[in-house]
Amino acid sequence: MPKIKVPKKSPSLDMTPMVDLAFLLVTFFMLTTKFRPDEPVIVDQPSSVSEISLPDKGVIMLTIDAKGRVFFNVEGQQVRKDILERIGTQFSLTFDENQIKRFSVLASVGMPANQLGAYLKADEDQRRTMNTATPGIPLDSLNNELAIWINSARKAAPRFSIAIKGDKDADIPTVKRVISILQDNKANRFALITNLEGAPEEKKEN
Amino acid sequence: MAEVQQQGGSEGGGKHKKLRAKKASTHIDMTPMVDLAFLLLTFFILTTTFSKPKTMDITMPVKDKVEDKDRTKIKASLAMSVILTENDKIIWYMGIDSAGMPPQTNIADFSISGSKSIHKLLLEKNKLVANQVKLVEDSVKRGLIPDNPEEIKKHKAAVKAAEKEGLIVLIKPDEKAKYKNLVDILDEMLVCNVGRYAIVDLTDSEKELIKNAQ
Repeated sequence: MPKIKVPKKSPSLDMTPMVDLAFLLVTFFMLTTKFRPDEPVIVDQPSSVSEISLPDKGVIMLTIDAKGRVFFNVEGQQVRKDILERIGTQFSLTFDENQIKRFSVLASVGMPANQLGAYLKADEDQRRTMNTATPGIPLDSLNNELAIWINSARKAAPRFSIAIKGDKDADIPTVKRVISILQDNKANRFALITNLEGAPEEKKEN
Repeated sequence: MAEVQQQGGSEGGGKHKKLRAKKASTHIDMTPMVDLAFLLLTFFILTTTFSKPKTMDITMPVKDKVEDKDRTKIKASLAMSVILTENDKIIWYMGIDSAGMPPQTNIADFSISGSKSIHKLLLEKNKLVANQVKLVEDSVKRGLIPDNPEEIKKHKAAVKAAEKEGLIVLIKPDEKAKYKNLVDILDEMLVCNVGRYAIVDLTDSEKELIKNAQ
């Protein structure tokens, strides 16, 4: 019987198409990813059937967490600098270059004005502990700092829309108070941020 | 996936003493690069979030002093007060809460199909408007209204606003209610096609009603 000679095949594979695809995907994901700064609070939004998407830019966001603390956030470094400047003049606080720069890249801030300077000076770990301890932006009628925040933001960015991102378990008096402060500042249209929920038939029984 | 370098077996028995430049393989070992590419790919896939948050638009009335004659008068028979209170409970009544004659209160919940479901109740009470909204949907099917979401939305809004006999809901969350309840009831307004609703503060007499209903 003649020997069957198996042709010697090279064990190397041509990986080029696979690599091409991999890099294509890497490029795609790199370009579409937006890195967000650390949010100081985790908020579990309620769900609704509303399908209106939140605009990408130009949103003044008021976060209300489960304990009823209020945080303020707005995107855009220039706008944030502008707002901080206005806040500074309102509360007669001065911020140095570093603090302004720090504020412009942070996410939500929920500090009473007298702690704001220290908060912007602190390093990341300290900020984290300050965030768990903070009472949020004060909004009682004697010390209504939220109104000043909103007012400054409206002046710095008059075209921005306002959104409230509340936790499921946030209490109604706080939410009502925030809405009432918004009304006082002539912001009568705003959005409530929710998660998308299926059609009402699929809604879980509670 | 290591690449095996193919090397000719000519090195062994060379009688020629001539020095020759070694023939380098044209293959480059791409493995590390591929590893890195996939590592990055995995990282970006896992960190990307595509779902955008959804919002619910709300318009509150201007908070200036309103003269009594400028206030919108509504028919008491169409007004339904929905009081949200603790433990996801809803207390509702029709008409007005006058001092001498407390209204008959009822209890409802947020379930979708229970016997006390607020969803079913609102659909029932708001049949008139709901039917007209259905008419709009029918006209879309029959081609009377162009089938594009914007157009349909406009028609539905017009129908909801024009219906003078439609239900008017006054949403009154009390202090013990949660934000979730408020969003849920606003959601029901949307689902049940209630065009006219408002978020209103509780009156003192209504606080009594809550107490009595429990």
